Amino acid sequence: MELLSVIPIQFLHGLVYGMLLFLVASGLTLIFGMMGVLNFAHGALYMLGAYFSYSILRWTGQFWLSMIVAPVLVGAMGILIERFLLRKVHRFGHAHELLLTFGLAYIIEELVKWIWGNQPLHVEIPAMLSGSIQFLDITYPTYRLFILLISVAVFTVLFLILYKTRAGIIVTAAVTRSEMVNALGINVPLVFMLLFGVGGALAGLAGVIGGPYLITNPGMAATIIIDLFVVIVVGGMGSLQGALLASFLIGELQSFGILLVPQMAVALEFLLMAVVLIVKPEGLLGDKA
Amino acid sequence: MRGSRFGWIRIALVILVLLVLPKLISEYRLNLVITMMIYSIFALSYNLLFGQGGLLSFGHAAYFGFGAYATVILVKQLAMPLPLGILLGGLAGAFLGLAFGVFVVRMRGVPFALLTLAFNQLIYVTAEKWRAVTGGEDGIAFIRPNLNLGGWEIDLWGTLNWYYFVLLVTLICVGCLWYLTLTPLGRLNLCMRENEDRARFIGYNTYASRLIIYILSGFFAGVAGGLAAAFQEFVTTTFINLDKATDVLMMTFIGGGGTFFGPVIGSCALILINDLLSTWMERWAIVQGLLFILLVLYAPNGLSGLYRSIRERWAKQKTGATQP
Repeated sequence: MELLSVIPIQFLHGLVYGMLLFLVASGLTLIFGMMGVLNFAHGALYMLGAYFSYSILRWTGQFWLSMIVAPVLVGAMGILIERFLLRKVHRFGHAHELLLTFGLAYIIEELVKWIWGNQPLHVEIPAMLSGSIQFLDITYPTYRLFILLISVAVFTVLFLILYKTRAGIIVTAAVTRSEMVNALGINVPLVFMLLFGVGGALAGLAGVIGGPYLITNPGMAATIIIDLFVVIVVGGMGSLQGALLASFLIGELQSFGILLVPQMAVALEFLLMAVVLIVKPEGLLGDKA
Repeated sequence: MRGSRFGWIRIALVILVLLVLPKLISEYRLNLVITMMIYSIFALSYNLLFGQGGLLSFGHAAYFGFGAYATVILVKQLAMPLPLGILLGGLAGAFLGLAFGVFVVRMRGVPFALLTLAFNQLIYVTAEKWRAVTGGEDGIAFIRPNLNLGGWEIDLWGTLNWYYFVLLVTLICVGCLWYLTLTPLGRLNLCMRENEDRARFIGYNTYASRLIIYILSGFFAGVAGGLAAAFQEFVTTTFINLDKATDVLMMTFIGGGGTFFGPVIGSCALILINDLLSTWMERWAIVQGLLFILLVLYAPNGLSGLYRSIRERWAKQKTGATQP
């Protein structure tokens, strides 16, 4: 009986983390699908979002301001990284691009430790979000619902843009047939650069809202990048719907894993990945390429 | 011919220096050299994939750590002689290489990198959670036992004897890895890096060949892990974590994967610089990261590749000047 009553709560916990993960994964997976570039520094951009937000809060005390400014800063960094670093190594191949972004992730992590220190930082939640909400017989922290709300809102907008507007159609087309889109006279490298900016901004936003919830610390980039890579493998490389499904599965696996098999919980997502690889190597919703 | 004889002389000189080194430097420095040798084996095993095979792995610590745990558990629980424990540590690494290799060698490029990283994490969380066997984050401590050779007891605990033991193992491993580059399998590894389809058209079973190379790479990583655990008389999850996996990538890349001894240069250089600078420069890691990025951008073959291209350009200028 007691187990039954915690199921909705655990489900919500899993959903909140899953959707936050998807917010970070969406940019990563679109970039990967479009250009074959796997951005190892994507987790570091997410971490920067959290740290920028911490500093903006320290200076201004405005949480809502930090929700706009921090993602913009991180998105700008994404654009700079693409324009001035990634483009230079493009001709050496994808593995080399991965090396570069790995180096960037390494430097960003060390810089974060240098500037903000090794200790976890406490980020204050705005007063209006700090309580909890009663719904039927469930009491749930408002802030987590807020994370869920923002994540769902952002990717609803994202899906609408991607599938209903011209810009979105260009992006989705470029993900599957990059060369063809280029041949049609669309500047794919420019689209790619802007996508890098948007992807970075989404990661930054996830950092801002995830920071107070998942603890802002220098290890948060390494933690999420591993989950992100599992999302990409499980969902299918480059598939946005696959990333959504995989993020959801990983969120729920972690949430119920801790409840049911605490010793094994952290290994579950890797087991899921191993099973997917054996049964369906192209990922749950990936193309057989 | 002249060049290769010169090469042999150079190698003999290096071995000679290594043999007399304990007379020349302090015990502290000797310990540093031991670390360099162990990580040289690790980096060379990694380069079998990275430089020679063209495969970027983010999960080589799995084999290093697996070998380390195997060695410690066998030596401590079963009172095995240390050399046998280290050999079995290597075999444990090879076994893990087989188990994971079956899946990963189908991939190349980015998917290969992703998968190796995920498998590394799987081994890492297993080591962290399976406390009964691994001791979790506390790890397992043990003492290097003496080696009993038919009644002749050799003390491996003292730094001097231990140095010579590691030197012997290192020379054997480096010799084997060097010999491997001369064998058809070693050549095929380069060939598959350049054009795997062509290798397959000629009639090679590229899947089996890459699997064998992956297993060999796991073996030498396991040996390095066993040595490292025996050196520190301790094994813990830091032997398997992502930092360990990226350390070996850094060493190999900075030294240069394109030459055989590049990874050795990389691991020696990074360990030495780390030791020299970490005491008065806390933020050495940032400099190391910047060096890494600069090499990625401007010298994709690392320091040894940079040296080689500078020397070639210099030689070209020289011949150009004498023969107008």
